Amino acid sequence: MSDRQAIIRELAREALAEGRIDCFVGWGPGYDGSQVIPVFAKDAAEVEELQWNPLCHHNLTMFLKRKMAEPADARIGVCVKGCDSRTLVALLQEGLVDRERLYIVGVPCDGVIDRRKIDREFAAEVVEVGVNGDTVVARTAAGAEKHFDRPALLLDQCAACRFPNPRVADDIAGDTVPEPEGEPVWPALEEFESLSPAEKDGLLAAVFSSCIRCFACIHACPVCYCWDQCVNRSRTPALVGQRVETPENLMFQLVHIFHVAGRCPSCGACDRACPVEIPLYLLHQKMNKELYDMLGFEAGVNVDDRPALQAFNLDDPFGQG
Amino acid sequence: MVASAQNKEAGSAAVSEGVVQGRPIKVVAILCNWCSYAGADGAGTARLSQPHDFRIVRVPCTGRVDPLLVFKAFEKGADGVLISGCHPGDCHYSEGNYYARRKFELLRRMVPHLGIEPERFHYTWVSASEAARWQEVVTTFVTGVAELGPREGRAL
Repeated sequence: MSDRQAIIRELAREALAEGRIDCFVGWGPGYDGSQVIPVFAKDAAEVEELQWNPLCHHNLTMFLKRKMAEPADARIGVCVKGCDSRTLVALLQEGLVDRERLYIVGVPCDGVIDRRKIDREFAAEVVEVGVNGDTVVARTAAGAEKHFDRPALLLDQCAACRFPNPRVADDIAGDTVPEPEGEPVWPALEEFESLSPAEKDGLLAAVFSSCIRCFACIHACPVCYCWDQCVNRSRTPALVGQRVETPENLMFQLVHIFHVAGRCPSCGACDRACPVEIPLYLLHQKMNKELYDMLGFEAGVNVDDRPALQAFNLDDPFGQG
Repeated sequence: MVASAQNKEAGSAAVSEGVVQGRPIKVVAILCNWCSYAGADGAGTARLSQPHDFRIVRVPCTGRVDPLLVFKAFEKGADGVLISGCHPGDCHYSEGNYYARRKFELLRRMVPHLGIEPERFHYTWVSASEAARWQEVVTTFVTGVAELGPREGRAL
């Protein structure tokens, strides 16, 4: 793991020293020892802050979706895990980022820790998380300490991950990891799918009543990029009302979900960003499951593919009648 | 509890009237200008009997129909949404309905996931010359929605 960190630093240092990039986006130390935050390294000293460990959950591709950093022709280096690389592929498919101005460091991923799974085990705030092989040690400020098994702490989607290795990269930080074979699975959806329509309605109403429409899911989403005319911020068309009630909140999220249909690989950045912990995976994983059932389509896998809803086939196996 | 059971019994008797549980159902039919709207027009001209509790929204092409419009209709109180356009291959703009077909199929699969009964959404193709087919499509759909009754969705 620390090998990968050393390689990331080495690659970033070289690229900056040779003037191939102006800025390198990676992960680095956070506010305390329990988390990492995005780091923007511009010189050799800042490169030393770069980290790689199972807490590096941020999808850094989101920093590329808007106008790239100043100056306008800046060249950016960026670290991507497998899931992050799929969102980058989705942006490349639409020509929204300039491949020539990107230096992509792919990081083969063994799974990312779900901080909320740790937080649930403590009454007080966790201030330090240490990872040593398959053991995770979490500690509060008062010194309360617990040991965990790393695989049990991983994000749910990491267990079902089919693309742990980057789909697009200029350099790879270390050896690739084995990729599972076979059909994709969506174990997280099973329970919700087994409910009746009335039960689903009740559950969605319960979780979406707490949405505060803070836009964190949309900010964190690498492929939700309409910043000039986001319909969620607009009154014309009035798709999303100004009232803050459950149906408007669900409409707000449906705008997000349907606008990224065919480009969302369920990286889960929106889930992790949500301050009220709305299970957004219920919607985007379901959408991806259905697109796979319909077309055998998986988002962000090959740069030369078209996003599913921006293309058609005369012989699509549905709606023939 | 008892009241709702009584309503259910009364409901089956009231289906033919298109009125269930005290309020008429509302069905939105989104039709493309070139085929299905003309087909529905033809059904009217031919005096084919149709249910009367649906409202037609005429659009230039099914390719223009944003899936979010369907959710918006449900959010605004629609009890059912029907979309119809030109048959694949017959689109006035050549390929609008091919793009639409993927969107509608995804929509058809997502609607039940949002707690809306699958019978409340349907997409199909009706050409300008298929007045009788339009009669059949709209009658089947509206009757199905009437049997379910008005929606009482809380999420959308």
